[in-house]
Amino acid sequence: MNQLISLQAAADLILAGRFLAVAGPEAVLDQLPAGRWIGGTIPYFMTEAGGTVVQDERVFVTDLTDVGTLAGIGSFGPDELAQVSGGAPDNGFALVIIPAGGETHRRFAAEAAAFPDAFVKPAVGWISGVHLSDLGRVTPKVYDGSSRTKHEDRAVVAHIGLPADKLVQVDIVNLFQPEDGDVLRFTEASFEVGECEVNGQKRRLSDYVVERGLEHGRQPLVGDFAGARINASLQSVNAQGGTVTLYAPVFPGVEYRFAQPQSDYAASFQAETARQDQSGAIWSCNCILNFLFGELEGKRIGGMSGPITFGEIGYQLLNQTQVIVRLV
Amino acid sequence: MPIPTPDHPCWHKLASGALAKLRTEHLGTQFLIKNMERSKDPVPVKAQAIHAYFAKWERLLGAELKQLTAL
Repeated sequence: MNQLISLQAAADLILAGRFLAVAGPEAVLDQLPAGRWIGGTIPYFMTEAGGTVVQDERVFVTDLTDVGTLAGIGSFGPDELAQVSGGAPDNGFALVIIPAGGETHRRFAAEAAAFPDAFVKPAVGWISGVHLSDLGRVTPKVYDGSSRTKHEDRAVVAHIGLPADKLVQVDIVNLFQPEDGDVLRFTEASFEVGECEVNGQKRRLSDYVVERGLEHGRQPLVGDFAGARINASLQSVNAQGGTVTLYAPVFPGVEYRFAQPQSDYAASFQAETARQDQSGAIWSCNCILNFLFGELEGKRIGGMSGPITFGEIGYQLLNQTQVIVRLV
Repeated sequence: MPIPTPDHPCWHKLASGALAKLRTEHLGTQFLIKNMERSKDPVPVKAQAIHAYFAKWERLLGAELKQLTAL
C-alpha cells in the first residue's frame, strides 16, 4: 500500500500491527494510535491521480510491513544523528523524517555524508513541512508512533533490515541540467552564503544572482558529485545584506553551476519515469518546489506516489529532486 | 569479478585519489567518491571504508568492480 487513505483506515492498519510510514496534516496525525509507525506533517502529495493538497482527514500511508524486519523506531536529536545510519541492521537502511527549519535539519544536511556507515546503510526519507499558507505560523512536526510522541527538532527513524537476497537501491530523478557557463565554488558547507568564487574570482553570490536575474529561485545550483547532479535550491536573496539563503547547503570541494530553466515538469518527470527502472520500488517522495514551479497540482507525473516535501533524503539532503527507494 | 581482498594494493591506491577516476552512475558510489575526495581521514581509514563499501554492494556494482584494479 502506498496511497492516501482515511484516518480510520490508517488507525485500523496501525492497530493491526502493520508497520507504516505516514504523512499528513498535523491535526490528523495527532489522532493516530500508538504503534509501529513514523510520520511527518505535510499536506502535499503526488498520487496516481496527480498532485493534490489534502485538506481533509486523510493521510498518505506506505505499508512497509512486508519489506523486511523493523529493527526499531526511535528519535534522535541534533547531537545524536550519527545513529541514523549507524543504528540500521547490517543489510538494511534507515527511513528518516526530519522537521524543516530546526537544528536537526541543519546538522543532518551539513554532516550526513560523514556519519558512520552512511554509505553502507543508506538513509532515505524526507523533510516535513506545513501548508504554505501556514509558513511562519505553524512548525513542521515528526512523529514517533511507537511512543506516540511528536517533535519539532528531532529526527524520527525506522531502522529496517532486509532479507539476505535483497539490497536497497536509492535512485533520484533530477530534472535539472547545469548550464555550460560559470563555475561556482564555495569555501564552507552552509545554507547561507555570502561570498563565493565565480570562475575563480571572489564575489558576493547575491550580486551574481541579482545580476543574472535568478532571484526567482526556479533554477537551483547544481553540484557535480562525481557525476551525480545534486541541487541546492534558492530560498531567498538579500541583495542589500549580501547573502543568499539556500534550502540545502553547498559544500567546499564541489563545482556548482546554475541549472538551465525547466519548462514542462510533468512531461519531463513522465519521460524520466519511463526511462528509469522502477522495479521493486517501495517508497518515493518529491519536492515542494517541483510541485509549485511545475504547477503539478492535478497533474500526473507517473511512477511512484508519495509525499511532496520540504527536502528529500537520499544518503544526504537533496532539493528539487524525486527520491525512489527500490529493493533489488 | 570477485572483490579484491582487503590487503590488495588497489584499496590504498583508490584511497589515495584513484577512486575519483571511477566511472559510475550509481548514486551511493558517486556520493562516496565525492566524500572520499573531501575527507581528511588518513589513507588507511579511507581504504578500509572503500573496501567495506564495495564488499557491501558487490552484487550491484559489477561494472565498477571491473575498474577497481585498473585505476
